[in-house]
Amino acid sequence: MTDLMAPQRIVTFPQGLPGFEASRQFVLLASATLAPFTLLQGAGPEAPAFVAIDPLLVDPDYSSRLGSEDLARLQAAPEAPLLWLALVASAPDGSATVNLRAPIVINPASMRGIQLLCRDSQYGLTHPLGAG
Amino acid sequence: MLVFTRKLDQAIVVGDGVEIRIMRIGRDSVRIGVTAAPEVPVHRLEIYEEIRVANALAVAAPGQAHELVSRLQTQRTALTPPHED
Repeated sequence: MTDLMAPQRIVTFPQGLPGFEASRQFVLLASATLAPFTLLQGAGPEAPAFVAIDPLLVDPDYSSRLGSEDLARLQAAPEAPLLWLALVASAPDGSATVNLRAPIVINPASMRGIQLLCRDSQYGLTHPLGAG
Repeated sequence: MLVFTRKLDQAIVVGDGVEIRIMRIGRDSVRIGVTAAPEVPVHRLEIYEEIRVANALAVAAPGQAHELVSRLQTQRTALTPPHED
């Protein structure tokens, strides 16, 4: 999996992320200093930045399925290795939650990404970060 | 807003061939079929809205992302790093 997490790479989100549709390009920042977190830093001075984490580190049983349309958007073959990230939200009181319902999925081969909008996900939008 | 009256099995076309067709008309709901190219995302509005709100809460304050990571790391010291660098 190490090659999926090269220190600095640009990912294109053809549809952007809901609410941030203007930002299509994000730099993926992963390093020992940031671990276990990854940064998704939008390209440009006013661009948004997100802290993300491998959903398996939040819920070891985490699993989610991609449809054929999702794979087409990622330009990914059915068994292609993909990078999954869940966005972390930090509340003013210091608590942090993880959005397991709408994960970011990145195809390292095409460097394309999507945010998975799933109608019937069993996972929450605000899963506690601390809970295993 | 454009408003159309459509009957069962009639459709409208939006943009580059996105077809929206009335599939079934029930008492308090209608079933709609959307035909679009795979790269065109189609979502129920309430789901898109839900994720839009979640993303707005997750976005880091400008220039604060690294600081946020440091704070989160101290909260999660028990966690084993997933990837070897």
